[in-house]
Amino acid sequence: MCTYAQLQAQVLERAHRLGREPGLCRGVLCDGSFACVVEIFATVIFGKRLVLLNENASDAALIDMVREAEISSLWGDPDLLDMLAPYLVPHAEGGPGRVLFFTSGTTDRSKAVVLTSASLMSSAYNGGALLPLNQDDRLLCLLPLDHVFGFVCGLLWGLSCGASVALGRGARHYGDDCAFFRPTALSAVPLLLGFLLQHQALNPELKLILVGAGGCPKPLLDAARAMGKAVHFGYGLTETSSGVALSLGSDPYAMTICPDDAIDIAPDGEVLISAPTCVMEGYWRRPEDTEKALAGGVLHTGDLGRLDWAGRLILTGRKKEMLVLMDGTKLFLPEYEGAIARALGNPNLCVVLEDKGPILVVEGSEQEKGPLWEKLKPVMAELPRGQQLRGIEFYGGPLPRTASGKIMRWAVQREGKKEK
Amino acid sequence: MTRREEILEKAKTIIVESLPELEGQEFDESTVINTDTGIDSMGFTLIICRLEAAFDVRIPNRQWQKLSTLGDVVDAIDKRMPKA
Repeated sequence: MCTYAQLQAQVLERAHRLGREPGLCRGVLCDGSFACVVEIFATVIFGKRLVLLNENASDAALIDMVREAEISSLWGDPDLLDMLAPYLVPHAEGGPGRVLFFTSGTTDRSKAVVLTSASLMSSAYNGGALLPLNQDDRLLCLLPLDHVFGFVCGLLWGLSCGASVALGRGARHYGDDCAFFRPTALSAVPLLLGFLLQHQALNPELKLILVGAGGCPKPLLDAARAMGKAVHFGYGLTETSSGVALSLGSDPYAMTICPDDAIDIAPDGEVLISAPTCVMEGYWRRPEDTEKALAGGVLHTGDLGRLDWAGRLILTGRKKEMLVLMDGTKLFLPEYEGAIARALGNPNLCVVLEDKGPILVVEGSEQEKGPLWEKLKPVMAELPRGQQLRGIEFYGGPLPRTASGKIMRWAVQREGKKEK
Repeated sequence: MTRREEILEKAKTIIVESLPELEGQEFDESTVINTDTGIDSMGFTLIICRLEAAFDVRIPNRQWQKLSTLGDVVDAIDKRMPKA
């Protein structure tokens, strides 16, 4: 346990020593520890460009991220540092105050989103303005710090309000960290909330749960509320330094827009965000992607939504070819389906999202699934568990297509729902 | 019964104890955990933690996503147990 003053002293001490590390860009392989938090803050204070990385990503994904973000030195697990050393870029460009997060997508499309320490703190203050914590609160941080929702809503939210922040003890303690730390507030992705509810792992002192980073089924929210917990649902993207809207009333899906942000709905229903204090600078070394996402000075989210009579945001679907999973990660479907199609030698397929996760739908009549799984094994082994396929179904005939031959995934999804 | 078979049997018991909704499901070494059982990533974490405790081994987190079938899990445990 340490005080704010002790944390500051350790950060300053570490920042003082960071000058000995080579280069202007430091990557941190996030393990959620106190030392990891100190390294993150010290890197920012020293003035190096910071890149947050998921230490549990596959070797290939980590190499890809180190190359993509042009990292010159690393902190983290020594075995990983050895593995990644050949890919470091000693004379990489710096950028004081810049903090890069990778979009939580499939690895071959990983893009580094350039945020800043100011945008992240603005986002935390914005959240705190709608959902304030106080010095008597204890926020439990269970989510990975390389995910912007985990970083802002699991860590900065508490620190910006002067609350205590308890750093979770890792995946092995998901089931007992609430009983151990006795938090009053918790940020969770839907999958984690479901797990904690199923295993009755929420402590009685817990009064506030902020759910974000993915669509959350209503029964989960209802179950937490039935236990007397205030449950709020948040909406935001890595590109907006986390949340831009939060549900405050009884309807978890009607979200009040945060003070510094403005949301418009485009004629085609796309959610457009103006968040001058929180929006990203752009995608690292990807000016075309940046220009596309920030066209006209607003962020084009790819989400569909509407504003209700009170100006609250209600999400209605997705425009982009992307699935947002219950663990907060995203699947970029063209790449995901392409990898599957190559493995199976069959392009007549699509992936849809069901409650249990992504399901592969293959054109044609029922056949033996075992050989298909065998062919898919190398593809799935490269993906985080939450992004791996949860089932294979056969459509029974030709998949519905547009006039240009594109598979109408939404029609396949609707058929699947109707059958249930 | 070989040690490997013993691990497999104990693992099956722990899986059902951890996730009672799987009671009655058939498991063998070729069972693909993600798809054949319906276990999600949180459920998988819970099972791995309980298996680690039961067999007094530690499987590095980075290895978890490579464990596709129940046989892979048994191998990972067997490899980390002291030689018989």
